[in-house]
This record gives sequence, C-alpha cells and structure tokens, in this order.
Amino acid sequence: MDLFGKTITELQALIKEKKVAASEVWEYFVKRSKRHNPKLNAYVSLLEKPSNPIVKGIIPKMELWGIPLAVKDNYCTKGVRTTASSKVLDDFISPYESTVTSKLKLSGYELLGKTNMDAWAHGASTETSDYGLTKNPWDLGRYPGGSSGGSAAAVAAYIAPGAIGSDTGGSIRHPSAWCGIIGLKPTYGRVSRYGVIAMGSSFDCPGPMTQSVEDNAMLLQIMAGKDPYDATSSPVAVPDYRSKMKTKRKLKIGIAREYLKGVEPDIQTAFENMVDVIKKMGHSVVDVSLMSPEYSISVYTIAQRAEVSSNLGRYDGIRYANNRAYFGQEAKRRIMLGTYTLSHGYYDAFYKKAQKVRTLIKNNFKKTFEDVDLIIGPNTPVTALKVGEFEKYPFFGELMDQLNEPASAAGIPAMSIPIELDSKNLPIGMQIMGNYFDESSIFNFAYQIEQETNFFDVIKKGREKYK
Amino acid sequence: MSKSVHLTKEDVLHIAQLANLPLSEESIEKYQKDLTETLHYVENLDELDISKTEASSHTTDLQNVFFEDGTKETRKFTQEQATQNAKNIKNGQFVVKRLM
Repeated sequence: MDLFGKTITELQALIKEKKVAASEVWEYFVKRSKRHNPKLNAYVSLLEKPSNPIVKGIIPKMELWGIPLAVKDNYCTKGVRTTASSKVLDDFISPYESTVTSKLKLSGYELLGKTNMDAWAHGASTETSDYGLTKNPWDLGRYPGGSSGGSAAAVAAYIAPGAIGSDTGGSIRHPSAWCGIIGLKPTYGRVSRYGVIAMGSSFDCPGPMTQSVEDNAMLLQIMAGKDPYDATSSPVAVPDYRSKMKTKRKLKIGIAREYLKGVEPDIQTAFENMVDVIKKMGHSVVDVSLMSPEYSISVYTIAQRAEVSSNLGRYDGIRYANNRAYFGQEAKRRIMLGTYTLSHGYYDAFYKKAQKVRTLIKNNFKKTFEDVDLIIGPNTPVTALKVGEFEKYPFFGELMDQLNEPASAAGIPAMSIPIELDSKNLPIGMQIMGNYFDESSIFNFAYQIEQETNFFDVIKKGREKYK
Repeated sequence: MSKSVHLTKEDVLHIAQLANLPLSEESIEKYQKDLTETLHYVENLDELDISKTEASSHTTDLQNVFFEDGTKETRKFTQEQATQNAKNIKNGQFVVKRLM
C-alpha cells in the first residue's frame, strides 16, 4: 500500500483495520528518512530499531500503536542521545524520560529520530546548531526557520508523519510557517515541561507539528494535562479537542493592524485574501487594537535571557556533559545578557521593568478576548530567507519572531497554518491566537479553514518533491 | 535604564566571569558591541507607563502548588545511572576541583 502523505489519523485507521502492519509503517519512514535526511539534515540522531516489541498479528489497543514520530532533540529520551543540538551535550545519554515522550510511549508511539534545532533552542534558523544547518524542503538554499527547524522539515518532506517541537518565542510557529505545515504552541502550562531541556522556563511550551488539524488536536490530547513533576503545569481540565473541533461554530475574529506593519507585500495580500475567505465562511471579522509587538520583543529579550542565564548555569561539566567552553557564541551572548540584567543594581531597570510590561501585555490580551474569540495575523514578517541572509538583519531571531513573541509573553495559545504561496513559491503562515486554555476554538477555526480550502494544497505541494 | 548604557571591555569580562564563561580575546569586542546594542533596543519599554503596574512572574495565575514529600522508587537513579554521563568519576563519585 502506498503510504505517501497519509496523516497520522489515516495511518492509525490503516493499522487498526490491519491494512498495513506497524512494522511496515516503521520500515517505510526509516527508509524515507535515510533517503532524504542527507540533504535535509533534519535529524541529529536517527533510531535504528523500533522500541516497542512488534509481534506479528497482535495489535495492542494503544492510540499511537505503530506511529513513528520525530521529536526535537531537547526532549530527554531515556537511553537515547539528547543534545539540544549543542556540543556541550554531545554524548549525553538521558537517564530519564520527559513527561511528553512518556505519555507518547504509553500511547504506543515509536521514536523515529531526534530532530535538529538551534542549539539550546536559541534562534530562528537552526543556524546555531552545532550539528549543521537543517535545509528548508521547499528550497534547499533556504532556512527552515527555527528553532524547531528539524521537526518542521521532517513533517514538510514527509520523512515523519508528525513531530514534536517546543516553542519559547515562536520556535514551533515560525518553522511551521516557513516549511508550510501546522504548528501549535499551546497555553503555557497546558503541556508539562518536565524533561524538556530548559530555555526560558516561564515561556517554554511543548507542542505538536503536523500535516492536519485533526492530527494536531489528537497529539495535544495525549500530551496535555497536569503533571506533578512540573509545578507550572495547569490543573485546568483538558477538553475533548476532536469532538469540539467538528461542530461548525461561527466565530468572532479580531485583526490587529499593528501586526501588519513591516510585513512583506505578498504576505499582506495572502492574509487579506484569507480574511475574505473567512468572512465568506460566515465568521464575523472586526479590527482590534493590540500593543505593538515591539514591546513584546523587549520583554521577551530581557526575561528570556535572564531565564537562559539561570537555566544554563547548571552545565558545570561535573555531573554530566562537557564543560562551559563548549557553549557556542549565541548561547554565550544570551547567558551574558541575562547575567547582566539580573545582576545587582540592574535588576529593577531591566528584569523587573520587563515583568511589569509583561503584565500590560497579558491584560491587553485578556481585555481583547472579552470581545473576540480569536485574533489572527500573519505569522512571520517574511517567508523563508536564503541561507546567509540573516546577516542583513541585526537582531535576526527576535525580528523573525516578532509576531510570535506577544503570545509567548502573555502565555496564550497560538497556531500557525499555511495560507497560499508567495511569488517565490514559498509557503506563507497565518497565526491564530486564542484565549488562555482555549485551544478548542483554535482547532475549531483551523479545522473549518482546512475543510474549506485544504490550506490551498500547500502541505501537499511541499511533500510532492519528496515522493 | 538610560541611553547612556554602554558596556566596556571590563564590563564584558566581569559578566563573563560571573557566568563562568571562557571568552577568547578577539570575541570580547564583538560581545561588547552586541550586548550594548541589545540593551539599547529594549529601551523602548521606557515609553510605557508602568508606575501602577504589578510585575508578572507567571502567566496563568497559578497559586500555591504543592508536592507530596518523598519520591517514588521508580524515579530514583542508581549510583551508576546518576554518574553515567560524567567525565570524571572516582569510586562511583563525581570528581570536583579542590575548593580550599
């Protein structure tokens, strides 16, 4: 059977109906990964064998039985090398399992490989990886975006049917937009951070990256929930995302014009076309006013660097890993900025001020969501840049993530979905932001758009080259 | 935060020392420039009135999270597991630099 392009949901059905064996699915994706990874460099490590014992003819009642997924290399996976794409952790074999991958394991998934990323998730290109750049499957001369660039490229080229990423200031949404797939950053605390190599602890959100909205909702369903090992994980009940997704709701959608400033004309046009489609679908669209994303960049820059300096303080080279001389330039830059803003005499001027503005950003979103169900806007100011082009943009990472960082600073959920291609034949992403713990409305809306437009076949076109 | 923030070479070396980061001589100037630039960028926060605003340490308003004392046997590392990734081990223990 030809499995090419099948969603996770479709693969699940085929396995359950015994039309394809779990072992065949594994072989299929291993073969594809081995064939295409040398040019894409989506993986840091590719697994040789499935971890679940596959006995012919027996299909355990586990939701993800036989489904191989790619997981970003900042998730601790027991007995498997976990590097966060940094030479500091070059030979680190995790002695324990993250909560997210534990939950996936309990559901029967197979770990296919650990995906490349910006080292420590610092960046928006995978360029800071100590294991080489990941290439954008749409154009191998371009960045995939980041930091979850390996996960995005793996899904876009269909060398994995789905992937897990993590988003601190856009690290799921940004590469999802540049590679033309669906990526969700859930509400902060919706998914446990336990066992995810810490970057900005008050921002970090694990999330799914997929080819379909239903796959995305299904994976979040498995990943979400309170975890005693992450005190910031939320006790708020997890709804049944898929059943809530399929009732056609008429939603009130807000557009923040502040988010269109400085965005490439092609992206603006695609976005306006999308707004027309949304109106025709019967949703109401209103303008809302949000704080300029420029303030979120500053809040993010200060608070995240401060958290980085504290989190990366644990790498002493004594208990595990290599010593601090192995940190790359970007990590050093961030650690030093955070060390400075947290140091005596500067704390109030930087860190505390940023945390106060963070309150303003939160309140701004809370107030706006009293009036609208969702807020939409472009996901990135430009489409995938050519390798090397980042030098033209000082402050590259933050500029590329500027439309993503407000949701990160506030802790609200946000998704990137593909909308059309630009004149360079590169995918454009639209961001859908929702209220706290209201991933359901995002799924509902994105699913309706998928039914109506099939995302203009962007996802299908992306993987065609890799058939 | 004032517009006068300009990190000197000594500032960079002091920060690097606090963060225990070895820097190469030729990289110091680059960090001096980059860090100063970033500190200038974030000055836009001064445009906002935060005189009556409380600081946010958290985004989802969680309060009082407790954890039961103790831990499960299954979560405990053996000595071997705990030391398996260390570079310098003697008699099953971590070797550290002499402190005194």
